Amino acid sequence: MIRAVRSSSFAIPAAVVAVLAVYALGFASSYDQRLLTLAGVYLILVLGYQFIFGHAGALSLAQGSFFGVGAYTTGILATAWNPGFVVTFPLSILCASLIAGLVAIPVLRLQTHYFALATLALSQLLLLVAVNWEGLTGGANGLAGVPPIEVLGWTASRGLPLLAVVWAIAGTAMLVARWQMGPDRTASFTVAREAPIAAPAFGMDTQMMRFRAFLLSAAFGGAAGALFVHTNRVVSPETLGFGVMVTCLTMTVVGGRYTVLGALIGALLLTHLPEWLRDLDRYYLVALGVLLLVMVVFAPNGLAAFVSRSPSRTAPNSLATAHPADLVRGDVRLVATALSKTYGGIRALDGVSLDLQPGEIVGIIGPNGAGKTTLANVLTGTARAESGTVLVAGIDVTKRNPHEIARLGIARTFQTPQLPSGLSVEDIVETARRHAAVPQPPETNALLSFCGLASIVPIAADTLPHGTRRMVEICRAVAARPGILILDEPAAGLTPKEQLDLGTLCRSLATAGMGILLIDHNIDFLRPITDRLVCMDAGRIVADGPPGETLEDPRVREAYFGLDIQ
Amino acid sequence: MRSFPFFGAVVIVAATAWSAVMPTRAEDPLRIPVLVPITGFLSLEGTSQKNGAELALVGSKVAFSVEDTATSPEIAINAFERAADAGGVVAVVAPMLGTQMLALVPLADEFELPLVTVSGTAKITDLGSPNVFRFFPGDVVVKEAQARYAVEELGAKRPAIVYQTTAYGQSGRAELQDNLLALDAPPVFEEGLDVSVKDLLPVLTKVRDSGADALLLHLHSGPTALAVRQAKALGLDMPIIAGSAMHQPETAALLAPAELGGVCAETGSSPVSETSEEVRTFVDAYRRAFDREPDAFALGQYDGTKMVLAAIAAGARTPADVRTYLQTARHDGLAMTYMSDGTGNMAHSAVIICYDGEDRVPDIVKRYGNLTGVL
Amino acid sequence: MLIAQLLLNALALGAAYALVAIGFVLVLNATTAVNFAHGESVVAGGFAAVALALFLPDGIALPGLILLPGVLALSAILGLAIGALAYLPIRDRPPVSVFVTTIAVGIIIANGLNATFGAAPRTAPPLVGTGGFELAGAVLSRQSLAIIATAVALLGGLAFLLQRTQLGRRFRACSQDPEMARALGIRVTRMTLAGFMIGTALAGAAGLLLAHQFFVTPADGAILILKAYIAVVIGGWGSLRGAAAGALLIALFEVGVAALASQPVAEGALYVAVLLILLFRPQGLFGETQQVRA
Repeated sequence: MIRAVRSSSFAIPAAVVAVLAVYALGFASSYDQRLLTLAGVYLILVLGYQFIFGHAGALSLAQGSFFGVGAYTTGILATAWNPGFVVTFPLSILCASLIAGLVAIPVLRLQTHYFALATLALSQLLLLVAVNWEGLTGGANGLAGVPPIEVLGWTASRGLPLLAVVWAIAGTAMLVARWQMGPDRTASFTVAREAPIAAPAFGMDTQMMRFRAFLLSAAFGGAAGALFVHTNRVVSPETLGFGVMVTCLTMTVVGGRYTVLGALIGALLLTHLPEWLRDLDRYYLVALGVLLLVMVVFAPNGLAAFVSRSPSRTAPNSLATAHPADLVRGDVRLVATALSKTYGGIRALDGVSLDLQPGEIVGIIGPNGAGKTTLANVLTGTARAESGTVLVAGIDVTKRNPHEIARLGIARTFQTPQLPSGLSVEDIVETARRHAAVPQPPETNALLSFCGLASIVPIAADTLPHGTRRMVEICRAVAARPGILILDEPAAGLTPKEQLDLGTLCRSLATAGMGILLIDHNIDFLRPITDRLVCMDAGRIVADGPPGETLEDPRVREAYFGLDIQ
Repeated sequence: MRSFPFFGAVVIVAATAWSAVMPTRAEDPLRIPVLVPITGFLSLEGTSQKNGAELALVGSKVAFSVEDTATSPEIAINAFERAADAGGVVAVVAPMLGTQMLALVPLADEFELPLVTVSGTAKITDLGSPNVFRFFPGDVVVKEAQARYAVEELGAKRPAIVYQTTAYGQSGRAELQDNLLALDAPPVFEEGLDVSVKDLLPVLTKVRDSGADALLLHLHSGPTALAVRQAKALGLDMPIIAGSAMHQPETAALLAPAELGGVCAETGSSPVSETSEEVRTFVDAYRRAFDREPDAFALGQYDGTKMVLAAIAAGARTPADVRTYLQTARHDGLAMTYMSDGTGNMAHSAVIICYDGEDRVPDIVKRYGNLTGVL
Repeated sequence: MLIAQLLLNALALGAAYALVAIGFVLVLNATTAVNFAHGESVVAGGFAAVALALFLPDGIALPGLILLPGVLALSAILGLAIGALAYLPIRDRPPVSVFVTTIAVGIIIANGLNATFGAAPRTAPPLVGTGGFELAGAVLSRQSLAIIATAVALLGGLAFLLQRTQLGRRFRACSQDPEMARALGIRVTRMTLAGFMIGTALAGAAGLLLAHQFFVTPADGAILILKAYIAVVIGGWGSLRGAAAGALLIALFEVGVAALASQPVAEGALYVAVLLILLFRPQGLFGETQQVRA
């Protein structure tokens, strides 16, 4: 179990809801009840948005559209046929999810702002349809006369009954959000979000995770939109407009992007804030802007961060150390044949073949731009070769995704350590271990102890010195119990003592049967521990043999030192 | 340690609860809340509404407060519920925006509060609610005036319609179409425009190429001025009969008098064009109070609010009294005489104004009185 | 001949949009943060022109051009304020916080203008005078030509500033690698604020250029930031050339497709085109200048 997210965090939202219930029953006027009802609707919307925007870290600008699609589904069905809430509500959720599922295929692979713009374009198209397809949507006027929620003959009229239904659904939404984003999955999403390139390399299917998050956000958005229509009794293009999206984004950032409590605070506060300021007359929105600015400047991670804090942890006293034999998946052989890859006209790989046996340590050297990292990327699926094949344990993985290749037993590290910020060393290794998909993954603490990291278990990885970060990354790679380990410049920036320790570690893993590929510049580091040394230049292998032979090879001297001297 | 989260939770809830304590419920005088859009894209018209209502209410014994409804039904309902909470409410000045009215009507029925508005959207009086009272000629009236003036007075046979893709625009376009068909001058060209659209040359060239002989606009203020300006620059050789936005002094202020020359428009009234003593007094008072020129929306809302005050003067003390008065009485306002047609349409007359190219004050060239036959 | 007129209008609109989009990219490159108050900065520039025009004597020649330096200066001050209040205090925090602080600034500007100037559309003086002249049967609008010339001059000035001056070199160094720039003794904070000032000044200039022909209302900001965002993303995040190309593309749709089909179709076609561009060139038309390194 990961302890990164406070396990008791649900106590606070529950307490808030309880106090709100007392307030709503005992003290609230009809106007107050209306605002609380709206807050409940927005809570569902924000909880949904947290999946894609918070946990998955993708700036989706379609959340308002899913809201609008849910709203129009309910509005159109209810005004045309009135089949009842039990029919329109699930259909609203379904329609929003369906649209999300359809657009996810082309859109989800886009990154950062390209994803944001694609979702924005989608939402603008939907708005255009709603405004101009007057026959279906009522055009800019929208559809009036949406009936109230009716379940089994009971009508949830305006005021408390409607408030109760909306908050019952909002409560369910909080439970679903909590269940979907338990501590383990929150940690996985943190890794996928903060270290997007590394995550697939230890078996994480980040595309699938994004897809799930997107669908969930749409389903919640659709539900919120449906309820919104019942609270206003009309549906109009404003529900699809950018204003809803801005409100949702603001609530999420002001409250908090990851926790149920954050959604609760954001939705409650920003539904009420403009209403509290109304007495300022025509300056009330100016005041709202000022308050928003101040809140975000003082609580950039959301107001929820002030209320709940993660419990502090201590390092365990003593740890059992893993045995190297338990860390190695036996008998995985890596065979690459005639790999080629070009980047913008430059041949980064030009017919490279390589054979790595279990228990063998192979070093790869070569000047900058020789294609070493590209080779590591192609072997692990991070980049795709244009021609040639890669076999892992006899299976052709040339066209496989990184997380699939990782699950076959290849682990790797990166030139710049790809460690997520905000997670402890233990959480990082634990997350990798869970995604390994191997029987009997090593005990996390025993593994950390094996890597010499026992003393820093509870520390956030982004606060560690460079050398230690590297070691954490190697430890994470080993957590998947790989048969093959590819280390990209592991010795860079390490002290001589750390280099020595790393060498010892590699040797003991190799002795236990792991094949290791070491990409590095540091000959002094490589020479004593490698069985073979490969030299690359301009995308080609120019020498391959025992370290001594390779280093004497004139082609190596020309490729490597010749270039360096010039 | 453990008390901290609970403390936080209490703070949040206390803050929410604060709003419950806010409204003070003293024994109120009679109250007329003014719910109008004073922010967002309709705040020009909404501010006219506010000013008209305010001018009528200031100095009366009736208390009032102004609540912004911005641009969405949601906020309009919030404002309504907040206002209705205050107690002593006998009628509500309700927003121009059609979508907001459609959301407020069922609520007004539930609270049994009469809504006094100048919204033109045809649909709001078709809902069968006894609580809607419209003090501006609806699209049914002004669009008939616009279509008839174009066809009967200017001899248009093949008119073109350019309208806004907003609630206002789509509602007016439907009425225009019906009226033109009835007058045997079906439109040869129609296009909807988003409010944000910048260059109107594309649509104007299509109007020219369509062989139209008159251009009927049904756009908001800015787009109307832009259409008039670009039509002149293009040398579009046909009369322009605009929607009521063209009568607003703010719209005329965007254009040079020469650009305005020959442009006509429908409207419920044109306070700055009127010469009668009463209207001059209103215009002067309005200028003094708000440092602005009044438009028909301000005058319509002024008249409507005055009629509610007349009901109170006649002894009305409850919303039901006011509703009955509005449903049955006849009120001589500044712009016209008002009387309900049974569905809450109070205004039945329209005027056509034209600019002469010399200044920005239009002349009333044609009055269409009692188009519905109610009076 | 109609085509010449339409093309000229599209170019003028595109030139103004290009100023907006390039201003947006300058802030982006200086901060890696999105400035959602940028649309309102354009509106503020328009209102600055409206307000300054009250001080101009009647019948003056080139009224808009005379106002340009004043609008640029006021907008630069606004940019400084946005940078100092909405960005600097949270520059080490998640970039999404900056979305909301700049959204907040946008709300403040839009509603502040609404409360002071009122909601009515306003018009700024024309750059060099109204009317047009005939050329081979087409009526070429003076204002359109002047908008294009002014935008080109401003962008030329910007190119000179960035390429040929010490300030520009420092600015570019900070955009590419703030850590290294700091190590070299460049005051990164100053450069960041300079980015806000220059970017917002360009937005303000666009506001002046647009506010004569197309008027300006306090609520116009949202649609302008939308256009800038589209232009910048389809052009390639962080690319100045791309932003200009994206802006011209938007204007061509607004004028060209609207002339061939209709305005709603033009709007829909633009968004479909955006989706297609992203589908086939996921990094924008001109590629991305800010690369993420593995």
